[in-house]
Amino acid sequence: MKRLTAIAACLAVAGAAVAIAGSQGRNAVEPAAFSADEREAILSHGPWPPPMPPDPSNRVSGNSDAIALGRWLFSDKRLSADGARSCATCHDPAKAFTDGRDRSIGLVRVDRNAIALANLRLNRWYGWAGAADSLWAQSIRPILDPKEFAATPELVRARLAADAAIRAAYARVFAAEMSRDPPERVLVNLAKALAAYQETIVTARTPFDDFRDALARGDTATLAHYPLAAQKGLKIFVGKGRCTACHLGPNFTSGEFEDVGVPYFVEAHRVDAGRFAGIAELRRSSFSLAGPHNDDAVRADAAPTRHVEQLHRNWGEFRVPSLRNVAATAPYMHNGSLATLEDVVRHYSQVDEERLHGTEGQRLLRPLHLTREEASDLVAFLKTLSSAVVSQR
Amino acid sequence: MHVTVPIAYHARHRPQPGVNAMRRVILAVLIATLSAGFAVADTSRPIIDVHIHYSHDAWSMLPPPEAVKVLRQAGLKKAFVSSSSDDGTQMLYRAAPDLIVPVLRPYRRRGETGTWVKDPTVIQHVEGRLKANTYAGIGEFHVFGADADLPVMRRMVELARERKIFLHAHSDADAVARIFVQDPDALVLWAHSGFDQADKVRAMLAKHKTLWADLAFRSDHAPSGKLRPEWRQLFLDYPDRFMVGTDTFTPERWHYVVEHASYSRQWLADLPTDVADKIAFGNAERLAAAVLGK
Repeated sequence: MKRLTAIAACLAVAGAAVAIAGSQGRNAVEPAAFSADEREAILSHGPWPPPMPPDPSNRVSGNSDAIALGRWLFSDKRLSADGARSCATCHDPAKAFTDGRDRSIGLVRVDRNAIALANLRLNRWYGWAGAADSLWAQSIRPILDPKEFAATPELVRARLAADAAIRAAYARVFAAEMSRDPPERVLVNLAKALAAYQETIVTARTPFDDFRDALARGDTATLAHYPLAAQKGLKIFVGKGRCTACHLGPNFTSGEFEDVGVPYFVEAHRVDAGRFAGIAELRRSSFSLAGPHNDDAVRADAAPTRHVEQLHRNWGEFRVPSLRNVAATAPYMHNGSLATLEDVVRHYSQVDEERLHGTEGQRLLRPLHLTREEASDLVAFLKTLSSAVVSQR
Repeated sequence: MHVTVPIAYHARHRPQPGVNAMRRVILAVLIATLSAGFAVADTSRPIIDVHIHYSHDAWSMLPPPEAVKVLRQAGLKKAFVSSSSDDGTQMLYRAAPDLIVPVLRPYRRRGETGTWVKDPTVIQHVEGRLKANTYAGIGEFHVFGADADLPVMRRMVELARERKIFLHAHSDADAVARIFVQDPDALVLWAHSGFDQADKVRAMLAKHKTLWADLAFRSDHAPSGKLRPEWRQLFLDYPDRFMVGTDTFTPERWHYVVEHASYSRQWLADLPTDVADKIAFGNAERLAAAVLGK
């Protein structure tokens, strides 16, 4: 009776609130109530997976032979100058395509955390700073980066063209002979095969997705199996936490860049300028969508690249990461400085406002001042965004 | 003390095509030589950066000699510095009295941005500091709307009037207007030009003759270093009223001072030389000299 009264009170307060009946099923939990606005916000995070059409800038996107070649190259250490590392070194499939380190180790320790690779067709920009505007361009970056693979187009072509199997696969995918293609074209083509493979890394459905879809169809029996702590955490996520201002949509990200108050000194006297440097790198790159390697004749997708501008606010901004599979991708933030989800929630709960600027009225972040239980609930919700496996189509 | 009331743009402030053409060529070469996206410090036009903070969390990462080095690398003629706490400003001033223009921030530590104006103990702190040290102004403080009429803020206005120094206000137009109601002759440096649009800034400058506006943390007047027409016209119409600033609100942003000075020089080059020089350093230099009696 007491519970029914509580539900009635919630409904009365929330107006068009939706209370989840919790009496069905052996594992049924107490219900939370969601207002019409909260319900709308929750539904906006699905359905999952969304459509992920081929990349028009990559003519081999979705090509099965290219995917197979890319899968092989992903673990091929010949792409690095010293032959000691591959893409999989920092993006280990066994670790949700991360490496578990705060900052990754290339030829030297790099400045940033290895961002998880999944659902990449949904990205508009790639990398923590958005220095690449396509997945294939992003795949070139570590190969040439002196701190990571330190390779050259010539080295890559020489090594891989010596492998008959790679040569044959290249000819099959690109209808060209690798040893006769210019080194830069070979590098770009291999990167497009790498991209074709990485596009297949898609996170599986999660307990949240089941909850969200059940909410959409009014399936109270399924709703009741979503843990109460996660429901309460979800309520914070779409409500007082204002998390959805940045972590929005089915992929839980705006795809944009923000300064969320995480220090960005790399070491004394050196900062990671983040998006500010990323835009400069993008403009310099001959591999951007505005360059000659874009396979889309119309180049409609190059407009953001042509128009993006460096702003003062970009200094120290980093990409808003997806929260899909977030429980499997610790540590967190651009420099891996927060070890656990609890640390992340604590950061936002106690965020130092004076580290944030933003024009008045536009500042998104305020300290949440969450109670211990609220913080725990928010973490419980975040954990329901993860699935045990990362599927590869 | 006498402060020259800014004058409007006159016909004599015509662009100088030859000078500007050469400046653009130099600028183009400069831009072409950028590496890693960071501007090479072209210090050909002096800059006075009126929006520098040296707050406690910057002190260990950038000790005073290194902070001064950054300011000099940026080609700054002077820097208006205010800090949480004011000890940071004093340290920098001792390290480079020729470079630093001390401004008294009423915050004793970080975290007082939203509370200081309702905290009467701030008054004693500010009065004590004003007695102990020399300052060109009080600020940068944050006050909005009717809070500008609260007793703490009223006392700041009184103190500035008594000492003939300026107020560096991170405020909306409403709060700035309230300050001028309290003291019609107040000297107000409007931080970020209130983040207002050009027409609103124009109206404020027209109404308040002792209002200056800094352009810190704004990119909208000159995206990609190219002046927007409405802002260009505003600078031409009020050449004596604008100043530039970085706003080092985190220690990391000290590493942006050089970049910001280069950005400022880029868009300033789109103005007649005399106007550009005023905005780059002349207006700040005159204000500092007036209030410090130099």
